[in-house]
Amino acid sequence: MRLTQDLELFPENSVTQFLFKDVTNSAELRQMAIDGEISCALINPSMILDTFQILIAANKAVHLQNIGKMKTRSLYSEIIFNLSPTNNISDAFKKFGISDNDNAVLIVLVHKKDNLNKEDILCKVKGEQIPADHISSLSDTAQIKKLYKVTPQEEKCGSVLDAIVCRMATKDVL
Amino acid sequence: MADMDSAKNRYLSEYLHKALMIKQGAEARVYRGTFLGKSAIIKERFHKLYRHPAVDEKLRRRRTTQEVRSILRCRKAGINTPVVYFVDYTTHCIFLEDITGSKTVKEHIVSAQASGHHIKSLCALADKIGQVLAQMHDEDVIHGDLTTSNMLLVKDAKDVKLVLIDFGLSYISALSEDKGVDMYVLEKAFLSTHPNTEALFERLLKSYTASSRKAPSVIKKLDEVRLRGRKRSMVG
Amino acid sequence: MTVVIGFEGSANKIGIGIVRDGEVLSNPRRTYITPPGQGFLPSETAKHHRSVILTVLQEALDEAGLKPADVDCVAYTKGPGMGAPLVIVALVARTVAQLWEKPLVGVNHCIGHIEMGRLVTGARNPTVLYVSGGNTQVIAYSERRYRIFGETIDIAVGNCLDRFARVIKISNDPSPGYNIEQMAKKGKQYVELPYTVKGMDVSFSGILSYIEEVAHKMLSSGQCSAEDLCFSLQETVFSMLVEITERAMAHCGSQEVLIVGGVGCNLRLQEMMGVMCEERGAQLFATDERFCIDNGAMIAQAGWEMFRVGQTTELADSWITQRYRTDEVDVAWRD
Repeated sequence: MRLTQDLELFPENSVTQFLFKDVTNSAELRQMAIDGEISCALINPSMILDTFQILIAANKAVHLQNIGKMKTRSLYSEIIFNLSPTNNISDAFKKFGISDNDNAVLIVLVHKKDNLNKEDILCKVKGEQIPADHISSLSDTAQIKKLYKVTPQEEKCGSVLDAIVCRMATKDVL
Repeated sequence: MADMDSAKNRYLSEYLHKALMIKQGAEARVYRGTFLGKSAIIKERFHKLYRHPAVDEKLRRRRTTQEVRSILRCRKAGINTPVVYFVDYTTHCIFLEDITGSKTVKEHIVSAQASGHHIKSLCALADKIGQVLAQMHDEDVIHGDLTTSNMLLVKDAKDVKLVLIDFGLSYISALSEDKGVDMYVLEKAFLSTHPNTEALFERLLKSYTASSRKAPSVIKKLDEVRLRGRKRSMVG
Repeated sequence: MTVVIGFEGSANKIGIGIVRDGEVLSNPRRTYITPPGQGFLPSETAKHHRSVILTVLQEALDEAGLKPADVDCVAYTKGPGMGAPLVIVALVARTVAQLWEKPLVGVNHCIGHIEMGRLVTGARNPTVLYVSGGNTQVIAYSERRYRIFGETIDIAVGNCLDRFARVIKISNDPSPGYNIEQMAKKGKQYVELPYTVKGMDVSFSGILSYIEEVAHKMLSSGQCSAEDLCFSLQETVFSMLVEITERAMAHCGSQEVLIVGGVGCNLRLQEMMGVMCEERGAQLFATDERFCIDNGAMIAQAGWEMFRVGQTTELADSWITQRYRTDEVDVAWRD
């Protein structure tokens, strides 16, 4: 169900993703995250095409935390910010964070390799867990292409995921 | 390596230590490693100890930035270049898609020539290169280091793709002069690497000209730059 | 044993050297020095060469302890270079060849530098950086040609340095480049200058026009010293030269570098190139001012190689040319 990937660059760290559908308490979860009751990134799955997109954002967040150059206050908010193609922080939260009415959520945890503390978060989600790599069944490709401004031309030389990843990786120098 | 030793960059140096170095170029070491579960190419612009630290830092920063900018600009226009996965601006390292099953245009031409194939067998390739470069110049991307080693060939199901790499010396310019010099750099690299390919390069230029409205003024500049080379008096 | 006498005068030096099977027997030289702020003009340089050439010829023979009858071949610079001085030197070479009844051989000046560098340093198949007042080239040998992999797309590095020296009135004695080098040692502050590498080519005109524009302002406002400018200019242009040399080495898979030409005696350039070579596990070969700077022996040495493989120049073909590319020469003496 869940998907765990080691960050090769930061070997003591791993990223784990959990995907839920038919979620009924998004507002509550969001509030808990804001209050620091749960420590994770709550992401709107409709804007995610592939779990690789999350890994790219998480790796960059850990790197920026390491060198003390994060643009936001925490590692998890930094992951959400890194998903965005622009440098507008509140915009990034609106698009990639969950909203009170969302009925699906992707939960992202960055943790020490053999130390995944998932229970206290997972037990709070009222919804059905599905395999994380089924994310594409929830993604809104048209919205994603629009947000990242992926043109038909660009799809000639690669996938939409490639286009997204490139924008995320290079947004700080554009 | 002062900055590689500092705690901040410890992770990268340990990671590269385990990766496989596949090339030491003039300004970058190129590695193959695993990144987020995928095979990746890592390009590290290391310190060049021969130059003044201020020059060194300026060049490494500028080239890393220009490389990813130009790659993105090309991809947006549908020109094949590797996907950028991650950029570390503190160590000037770029993590790129590993173009698997590829060979360089240089290798392709050398082996075609060695096996006695007639130059005609390479015409389609010359056409393709001309086309892609015209498209790149139409996007105002100046590659800055066009050689047959910086172009990869990848066979996919339908046809052969041409992938442009190594944009470290690239920049954005709409000037025909800059595009002309870009083609001049390629011409010299092409002809010095592959003896007796003048006709093939002519063919490439013809395809370039046919592929872009702006090409005639670029070719005119190319002629001027060539002439400058030949006319230079070279006193002393 | 084969004895060749070489005549060189393509720029502001006039030199005559005698070489016998790889041994330099004599190599006297004179330099035409102009006042600070002035470059050398062709007609005046030719006048200078004409006034001293016979004295230099006598010195070359005396120092070598040879008579004209001992000489087997007369080599002269066919080009590239300044027209008027080339004509003077070719005229004298042609005359002595007829008087002594010896064959003539016209030599490419750049090839002279390369062959002399190989002789003096023992480098076998180096990537050559040829840097002087009129040339900036990265050269490597393949298939009977010295092929130019990289070069300047506008002015030569030596020309850039000389013209900078004129802007801030640095003495031309013994040479502007030497004086810039000495001043640069006292420079402390690095002033950022444009840096232009295009593939294996370089461009210096942008740096020159930038520094021409800002030099006086920066100096008069005390923002930096003349020494700082010398230092910064050297650091910038030499970095560019080392970079394109390394690019050519990576391209050709070469493990040797040879620096030739007048700018090649600059010790800072040699030091930087040495560091680059060490990093690559390559070997650096450089010469001192006796052979880096234009001289007669280098023409004699290239002439000796050419004469050995039967490349001589008929009297009717013994003209000179201001433009003569390194890669035009059939290098029949190497394999």
